[in-house]
Amino acid sequence: MTKKADGRMVVIIGAGPAGLTAAYQLCKLEISSVVLEKDTVVGGIARTVRHEGCYFDIGGHRFFTKVKVVEDLWREILAEEDFLKRGRLSRIYYNKKFFDYPLRPSNALLGLGLVNSFLILASYFYAYLFPIPNEKTFEEWVSNRFGRRFYRTFFKTYTEKVWGIPCSKLSSHWAAQRIRGLSLKRALKAALLPKAHVEKKDIIRTLIDSFHYPKRGPGMMWEKAAEIIQKKGSTLHMNCGVRRIIWDKSRVTAVEVLREDRVERIEATHFISSMPLRELVEKLDPAPPEGVCNAAARLSYRDFLTVGLVLTKANLFPDNWIYIHDPQVKVGRIQNFKNWSPYMVSDPKKTCLGLEYFCFEGDDLWSTPDDALIHLAKTELESLGLGRSADVESGAVVRMPKAYPVYDTGYGEALQIVRDFLIQLENLYPVGRNGMHKYNNQDHSMLTAMLAVDNINGGKFNIWAVNEEQEYQEQKSIDEAEAAKIQALSETQPQVPTLVSDGDVPLALIRKAFSRLDELGLAVAFAVIGGLYVLLPTLWIVARDMKVAEFQLLSQYFVGYDVSGRGAFVGMCYGSGLGFLLGWFTAFLRNSLLRMYLYLTRLIEEVQSLEEP
Amino acid sequence: MNQDVDKEQELALLRAVARMNAKVLGLVLGLLFGIVIFVATNWLVLKGEQPDRNGHLVLGPHLALLGQFFIGYKVTLLGSLIGFAYAFVVGAATGWLIALIYNRVAGMRG
Repeated sequence: MTKKADGRMVVIIGAGPAGLTAAYQLCKLEISSVVLEKDTVVGGIARTVRHEGCYFDIGGHRFFTKVKVVEDLWREILAEEDFLKRGRLSRIYYNKKFFDYPLRPSNALLGLGLVNSFLILASYFYAYLFPIPNEKTFEEWVSNRFGRRFYRTFFKTYTEKVWGIPCSKLSSHWAAQRIRGLSLKRALKAALLPKAHVEKKDIIRTLIDSFHYPKRGPGMMWEKAAEIIQKKGSTLHMNCGVRRIIWDKSRVTAVEVLREDRVERIEATHFISSMPLRELVEKLDPAPPEGVCNAAARLSYRDFLTVGLVLTKANLFPDNWIYIHDPQVKVGRIQNFKNWSPYMVSDPKKTCLGLEYFCFEGDDLWSTPDDALIHLAKTELESLGLGRSADVESGAVVRMPKAYPVYDTGYGEALQIVRDFLIQLENLYPVGRNGMHKYNNQDHSMLTAMLAVDNINGGKFNIWAVNEEQEYQEQKSIDEAEAAKIQALSETQPQVPTLVSDGDVPLALIRKAFSRLDELGLAVAFAVIGGLYVLLPTLWIVARDMKVAEFQLLSQYFVGYDVSGRGAFVGMCYGSGLGFLLGWFTAFLRNSLLRMYLYLTRLIEEVQSLEEP
Repeated sequence: MNQDVDKEQELALLRAVARMNAKVLGLVLGLLFGIVIFVATNWLVLKGEQPDRNGHLVLGPHLALLGQFFIGYKVTLLGSLIGFAYAFVVGAATGWLIALIYNRVAGMRG
């Protein structure tokens, strides 16, 4: 392998989206790299697996991003005709019913029935009035925002299936990342400008309801990327596990790999790692301080297996995927790959499904033989009523270790210790989802790799800071271009598409429209009017000496009132008292309803912004 | 930082007290009162005379009492227009006064 004239040479650990993106970017800079992949296929979790002419994803990987550089890179790697624009339909299966996803409160409440809906609303208001103080866990965070009952219905079972640990042990950070925080200001803007709101929704819907997808899955993209980087001079070693990462003082000097049963040492000037952070620390030689090793060991991962089933049915259900919230079955999500792309099946009369099971490497489910897993998948598919076991032609199992970094309680502290140590190794760049222990999408992973390459080429990005943009932006040392890039990167988090435009409604206008009425002010105003409404007509009648018997009827309510000069003032007092009460109550009612409306608006926006685990 | 700004703005919004536009409220209440009288009068005109307790045919005897205050008002088509004008003035004055007093009191309370 050749080094650039200035001697730069980069080792990249992992041939997933981040690793291959790094290699691709390095090729553009004419810096050679060696990519080390311990598996036999490229793409990491974004790979595509072939089975009897059908294609399966590991999970589902939509191609949409707000970051232009990533979009451009996708288009560079794959030709336009290799992309399909696909509509999205995903629903939640719960209690033998389907619910829209993203959740729509009206649909959810209607589907749950009257009694349940009432209890959910009551629980929501209870949570609103008596929130759990100092929320730390996922359970507390969600319960505080949506009510405990809604949490138990739509969050608990599925989340625990995915993560394998009680929600009371999951950090609230994770929930905060997956549910777009909606400020009251944004809710007000949405309420104030219904038209703008609709447009905004359309934008979100466009992003959520349709996406681009390579004809034969994301693996197609990464296989092509691997081909390109090799053509341009980079080296890709498959089946090549890293045994040791050798470092000295503040630099990594080499990696020791096992390739074709031989141990090799590869030296380089820079190292980009997308390997799980825990493994990275374990492989450092000499071992880092004990505190760092303990912190790294504290980081945990959730593993994942997909049972791919080929069925001799042309159509089963219209969804791209279905979330299975039903606690009676182990399957967590069912992908219908034919609905992702018709090219995913060899025969249009067939359908290929992926039943996804979340597990821990080595647990009972993970260790179950493939045949038994296929049998389990067939049985559960039938019990859910989504397909018939008899229609299953064949099946395959794909196990994906460390699919998700776990955000359990205490992970943040452990991650900080590891980060603080790794940041001292000036030529080591952790990137990607597992590489940074951040639950990122493909585009975000790719961008961290792009920034790492920029750093190798003289940039000064703090890649760790990309999700803490507020603090990062405050640093005076970054220039505008850098800030813009970080901003672009940070905008990929959370992964639910956020607003493209927040609208241009000035705060002052919102205040005018939604500020509360002063109860006393309205009460006094109504009191004056109420008093005058009795006083003036009565005096008018008295002055003109008219006989208006009907006016005397007021005395039935205003005891002591009569159509006389004295009675006019008695009536004024009554009228004022009544007006005062009416004004105060009107303001109170208006304020209460407005506040309720605004919070419901915010609640609905937040529920709809929920991203899947 | 953005979250802090959001929080601050949210608090500011929740603290903010509405001010009323006297002209707008006057116009709205003026139109409202005027339309009520106009419609109520013409409704009775369209229904025509109805027998009272003594069997005499009368046209809107209760609404006609408004004539005591709105000089020239009668339960007729022309009366509905006169009533509209009077009611508009009363409504506008009511709205304007409500807004004026409300704004004064709310202003005094900061």
